[in-house]
Amino acid sequence: MIEALRKKAEELLKNKTVSVVFGYGEGSTPERTRPVFITKPEEVNKLTWNKYCVYNLTTYLKRQETRKLGKPAIVVKGCDARTLIVLMKESQIKREDVYILGVSCDGVGDPLAEKCKACDVHTPRIYDDLIGEKGENKELPFDERYAELDEYENLSEKEKWEFWQKQFEKCIKCYACSNICPLCFCDRCIVEKNQPQWIDPSAHARGNLSWNVTRAYHLAGRCINCEECQRVCPVDIPLNLLNKKLAKEAEKNFNYRPGYNIDDELAMSTYNEKDNQDFVR
Amino acid sequence: MGKKVGVFVCHCGTNISATVDVEKVAEEAKKKYPGVSYATTYKYMCSDPGQKLLRDKIKEEGLTGVVVAACSPKMHERTFRNAAVKTGLNPYQVEVSNIREQCSWVHQDKAVGTEKSIDLVRMMTEKTRKDTSLDAIKVPVTKRALVIGGGIAGIQAALDIADGGNEVILVEKDASIGGHMAQLSETFPTLDCSQCILTPRMVEVAQHENIKLYTWSQVESVGGYIGNFDVKIRKKARAVDLDLCTGCSSCWQVCPSKKIKSEFDTELGNRTAIYIPFPQAIPSKPVIDKEHCLLYRDARKKNIPPEDSKVCRKCYDVCPIAPVKAIDYAQEDEIVEVKVGAIVVATGYKELPNNVYGEYGKGKYQDVITGLQFERLASASGPTEGEIRRPSDGKEPEIIVFIQCVGSRDPAKGCSYCSKTCCMYTAKHAMLYKHKVHHGHAFVFYIDIRCAGKNYEEFSLRAIEEEGATYLRGRVSRIYKKGEKLIVLGADTLTGSQVEIEADMVVLASAMKAQDDAEVVARTLSIQYDKDRFFSELHPKLRPVESSNAGIFLAGACQGPKDIPETVAQASGAAAKVMALLSSDELEREPVVAKVDRLPPPVFSTCIGCFYCQRVCPYGAIEQEDIKARDGSVIKTVARVNEGLCQGCGLCAATCRSKSVELAGFSDEQVYAEINSVEFN
Amino acid sequence: MSNETTFEPRIVAFLCNWCTYAGADLAGTGRKQYQANVRIIKLPCTGGIDPLFLIKAFERGADGILVSGCHPGDCHYNSGNYHARRRWNVFKPLLEFCGINPDRIQFSWISAAEGGKWVETINSVIDAVRVLGPFEGYQKINAIGPEGPGEGFAPSSDTTGCECK
Ligand SMILES: Cc1cc2nc3c(=O)[nH]c(=O)nc-3n(C[C@H](O)[C@H](O)[C@H](O)COP(=O)(O)OP(=O)(O)OC[C@H]3O[C@@H](n4cnc5c(N)ncnc54)[C@H](O)[C@@H]3O)c2cc1C
Ligand code: SF4
Ligand code: SF4
Ligand code: SF4
Ligand code: SF4
Ligand code: SF4
Repeated sequence: MIEALRKKAEELLKNKTVSVVFGYGEGSTPERTRPVFITKPEEVNKLTWNKYCVYNLTTYLKRQETRKLGKPAIVVKGCDARTLIVLMKESQIKREDVYILGVSCDGVGDPLAEKCKACDVHTPRIYDDLIGEKGENKELPFDERYAELDEYENLSEKEKWEFWQKQFEKCIKCYACSNICPLCFCDRCIVEKNQPQWIDPSAHARGNLSWNVTRAYHLAGRCINCEECQRVCPVDIPLNLLNKKLAKEAEKNFNYRPGYNIDDELAMSTYNEKDNQDFVR
Repeated sequence: MGKKVGVFVCHCGTNISATVDVEKVAEEAKKKYPGVSYATTYKYMCSDPGQKLLRDKIKEEGLTGVVVAACSPKMHERTFRNAAVKTGLNPYQVEVSNIREQCSWVHQDKAVGTEKSIDLVRMMTEKTRKDTSLDAIKVPVTKRALVIGGGIAGIQAALDIADGGNEVILVEKDASIGGHMAQLSETFPTLDCSQCILTPRMVEVAQHENIKLYTWSQVESVGGYIGNFDVKIRKKARAVDLDLCTGCSSCWQVCPSKKIKSEFDTELGNRTAIYIPFPQAIPSKPVIDKEHCLLYRDARKKNIPPEDSKVCRKCYDVCPIAPVKAIDYAQEDEIVEVKVGAIVVATGYKELPNNVYGEYGKGKYQDVITGLQFERLASASGPTEGEIRRPSDGKEPEIIVFIQCVGSRDPAKGCSYCSKTCCMYTAKHAMLYKHKVHHGHAFVFYIDIRCAGKNYEEFSLRAIEEEGATYLRGRVSRIYKKGEKLIVLGADTLTGSQVEIEADMVVLASAMKAQDDAEVVARTLSIQYDKDRFFSELHPKLRPVESSNAGIFLAGACQGPKDIPETVAQASGAAAKVMALLSSDELEREPVVAKVDRLPPPVFSTCIGCFYCQRVCPYGAIEQEDIKARDGSVIKTVARVNEGLCQGCGLCAATCRSKSVELAGFSDEQVYAEINSVEFN
Repeated sequence: MSNETTFEPRIVAFLCNWCTYAGADLAGTGRKQYQANVRIIKLPCTGGIDPLFLIKAFERGADGILVSGCHPGDCHYNSGNYHARRRWNVFKPLLEFCGINPDRIQFSWISAAEGGKWVETINSVIDAVRVLGPFEGYQKINAIGPEGPGEGFAPSSDTTGCECK
C-alpha cells in the first residue's frame, strides 16, 4: 500500500495535477506519525501508511500556511473523507480543488481507537484514487454505533451533572479542541467575539460549561467523529462523548449522518415539517 | 459617549398604577440604573399631553434614549417612536417596556407587580443603552399588480385596479375566467341569473386596456418583496395559438371525442377534447384536453411527438385560419416573467366532493348530488337546459331532499367551520325546485338556519312560507337505495321523531373547502394559511384583506367561505389597498434587517462563507459576495444581506456560529444586554 | 423545609413577537392572573433564538427557561419555528446529557389567540421549577465568576468592555 501511495503521489506531483500532497510521515518513534507536506516528486518516500496514522489531515485545509501551498492531494481514511464531504457542503472547499487519496483502513491506534470500533467506512465514501483494497462498507446498526454512550446516558441527572462538571472544571481554555477540528473553521470563533462577550474567556467553571456546550452544539449535525478534539485536549476531557451524543440525536431525529451522503441537506440548515416535537408543549 | 436615557412610566389611568407603584418604578430607575438621567410618571403617556411631555423632555434633558414603561409595544411603540422623531431623536432609540399586559393586569399583589416592573424597566433600559439609530429603508414601487384567480373575486379586483389606472396581470388556471359564479344558476337573495350579471364583467376584463389576461396559466414562482415582486407565470401549452384563433367553433364541432365529462357541468354533461368550458367563456378560444384527445393519446402510446401523430387531426384540418393554422400540436409551455408591485390572491374554493360520506352512499348513488350539481341542473345553460331531472334516468324528481351542513360543522369530516353559504343556497334551491316542478315537494334537513345578511332572513322564510318547503331540524343518518327510490333516514329533533322519506333525488349542501393546492400556493407566495388551509388574513378584524406577507392581499373564498356580495366587497377592499400601495413611488420599510459584518483587511469580514444563513433564510435574502484583492483575485466569498428582501426574522443570526451576521434592532449587544440585566428581585 | 417555601423560581421566557408574545398580551387583556416569576425577552421569531441566549440566561441565574413561538405552520416567517425546532431537538438532549433537568428548559407553541395556554404553560413551568428548587449546580459554578447573581446586577458597560465605537 505504501508503495502504491508513493507512486500515486509522485505521479500527481510530476504531472502537476496537484502542487502538494498532505500525508502521513514517519515520526520520531515507530509508534508515531507526523503530517508531511510534500511538494517535490523526489520526496514522496517520506510518505507512509500504518496503524499509527490516527489523526485527520483535513484540518490542514483550513490553515492559511498549508492553503498557500496550492492545490493539495490529501490522504484520507474513511472517517476523514467524511470531513471532506461536510467541507464541500459548507462551501469551504470545492470538489475540484482537492485531490482525494482515499486509503482503505482496518482501524488505527494501538490499542484500537474508539472511533474505529464502530466504523462503517473502512473504504472511504469519496475519493479520486483508492489506495488498498476496496471493501464492502457494511452499515452498522444504530445502537452499535452509539453503544459508547449508554453508560453515560444511564447515569442519574445528578451523576451526569457531577461527571461533566468535573470534566469541564479541568478545561484551561487552550482552544486546542477547536484549533485541531477541521470543521471549526471560523475566522473568528464565538469565544473571540468580545462585543458582546458571550462566552467568558477566562478558565473558570461557568465559562467552561458555556464553552464546551457551545463548541459541541456548533458541531451538531457536522462532527464526523474523528476524535481529534479529544485526542489533543491536554486535560483529557472526553469531548467526543458530547459530539457523539449530538450525532446520535441528529441521526435519531433527522435521520442524518454528517459527511455520509453528499446529496443530503445539511441537518442544521434544513427542516422537516414532521420533525420530532414530543417535547414541545 | 454614554447614553442619556429617559424613563417614562405610564399610569394608564389606573390600569397600571392600581397594581404597580409607578412612582417607585421611576425613582428606582433614576436612582439605580446606569445611564438613566431622567425618570418620571404620567397619567396617560399615549395622550397628546403625554406625547408632548415625551418630546419636551427629550429636548430639555437632551435624552438620547427613551424607555416608555406602559402597555404592550404592540399598542403604542409606533406612537412613541413617531413622537420622538419630531424632536429629531431616531425612532429606534425608543423602546417600550410592557408593564401593563405583562404585569399590572396579570399580578394583583402591588409589591410583586412593582418589583417585576422595576425589573422589566431595567431590562429595557439596558437594551436601550445598546440601541443604535436606524434609517428606514426606501424601496421603489413597480406600478403593476398581479391577480391570481379569475373567479368573481379576481375579476372584481382586476377591474377595480385597472380602472384606477394601473396595469393588471390576471392569471387563471382554467381555460376561462368566471370561477364558480359562472356555474351558478340564479343567485340569492335576488334570484338574478348568475351568468347574466357575471359575463358582462368577464367581457370587460377581456377588453380592458390595462388588463393582461393569462388563462390556462399558473404562477410558478414569486420572488422579491412588497413593491418589487418578481413573478414567473407558466402559460401551459393549450395547443391553440390564441393570437391566431378567432373562436369560430369549427374545431370543437368536428372533434370526434365527444363523451368527456364536463368539469364545468359538474360531470352531468359532456364536452369534446378540444373545447371551451362554456359558451360565454373568456377567452372564447378552445384548449385541447391532452389526456383525452385521440391524437395526444396516440402520440403517448407510440412515444412520438404529437405533431407526428397521424391519428385524427380533424380540428387541425377544419381550422379555417391561413396560412398558419391556429391549432399547434407542438406548442410548449411558456414561462413569462413579470415584475409587479402588489399581488391579490383570489384562488377561491372547492366543493367537498360527494364521495366522502359513507352514510350518503359515498358517491355511488347517481341521484345523490351536490349543491353545485344542482346549480347546473337548474341553469338554463346547463346539461338539462334548466329542467330538474335525475341524472340516473332523466325523470323529474317528485320528492327531493336537501341536506344542509354536509361536511361543514363536522370536525370528524375535517371541517369544523360553517360554510356560510349553504343555508342560503339551499333555500334558493328549494325555491328554484318549486318554480320548476310545481307538484313536487322539497324537504330540507338542517341543523341551524343561519341567514344573517341584508334580505337573507326574508329570503329563507320565503322558501318555507311561500314555496312550502318542509324544513326538518336534524341530521340524516343514512341514505340507501330501494328500487328507484332513495330512502332518507333522519331525525326530526323538534318533534323527537325519526323520519323516513322516500325521495327521488337528494342534494347535499357540501362544504366549501380550500383548494387542493392551497398549501402550494401559500408556499409559493410565502403567506400563511389556517388549519383548514384557507389563507390567513393579517388581522381577523382590522386587516382582513392583507396576507401575512406585505404587499400580498386576499380576496374571496380563498380566505374562507363567503358568498358573492362578501367576495366582491373584499375584492374591492383588496383593490383599494393595492391602489394605495401603487400610488406611491417609494416605500419605507422597517429597518429591522440583518447585516453581515464588514471589517478592515486582512479579515474583511468574520464571515467564513459557510452559507448556513443562506440556506435557512426564508426569503432568499442572503447573497454571496466575493471579496477581491486589487488584482481581481478572490480573497474570500462571504455572505451579504439584500435589505430589500430581508424580513428581519433573525434566523440567519441565530444560525451563524461565529455570529458574523446580526439583526438590527435585535443586535447581539441588545439581546445580550437584555439577558444580562435579568436579575429578579 | 423553610428554604423551599421561600424559594421563588426565576424563569426567563424567550418569546416570538407574533404568536406567544401576543398570546401573553392577550392573557393580560383578559386579566388572567399568573405567577410573577417570569421575565420575558421578545425576539422576532423563535428561529432567531440562538441557544447561546439560553445558556446566557442560565449563567445569569435563571432557574428555568421557556422558549415559545408560533405553532408549526403558523410562523410569520413561514419556516422560522421549524428551524428552531431542529435546534431544540439537539440542544435539549445535549443539556440533559450534561445533567440539566429537562424541566428547566421547556418549549411550547402558543398562538396569539391562546392567552389561556400562556397562563397554563407559564404557571406549570414555574411550578415544575419550584419543585426542582434553585438551580444550585449552575449557581455554584456561577459564583466563581465575577458577576454571579446576588452580587447586584451588572451594568452592560462592565461586561462588554469598551463602549466607544
Ligand atoms: C352550490 C353553491 C351555490 C352558491 N350560490 C350562491 C348564490 O346564489 N349567491 C351567492 O352570493 N353566492 C353563492 N355561492 C358562493 C359563491 O360560489 C362564491 O361566493 C364565489 O364563487 C366566490 O368567488 P371566488 O372568486 O372567491 O372563488 P371561485 O369562484 O372559486 O374562483 C376562483 C378562481 O380562481 C381560479 N384558481 C384557483 N386556483 C388557482 C391558481 N392556483 N392559479 C390561478 N387560478 C386559480 C379558479 O380556477 C377560479 O376561476 C354558492 C356556492 C355554492 C357552492
Ligand atoms: S468535533 Fe472533534 S471529533 Fe468532531 S470533527 Fe471536530 S475534531 Fe473531529
Ligand atoms: S467553536 Fe463554533 S464558533 Fe468556534 S470555531 Fe468552532 S464552530 Fe466556529
Ligand atoms: S482542548 Fe480541552 S482544555 Fe483546551 S479548550 Fe478544548 S476542552 Fe478546554
Ligand atoms: S452563517 Fe455566518 S459564517 Fe456562515 S456564511 Fe452566514 S454569516 Fe457567514
Ligand atoms: S433576518 Fe431572516 S430574512 Fe433577513 S437575511 Fe436573516 S434569515 Fe433572511
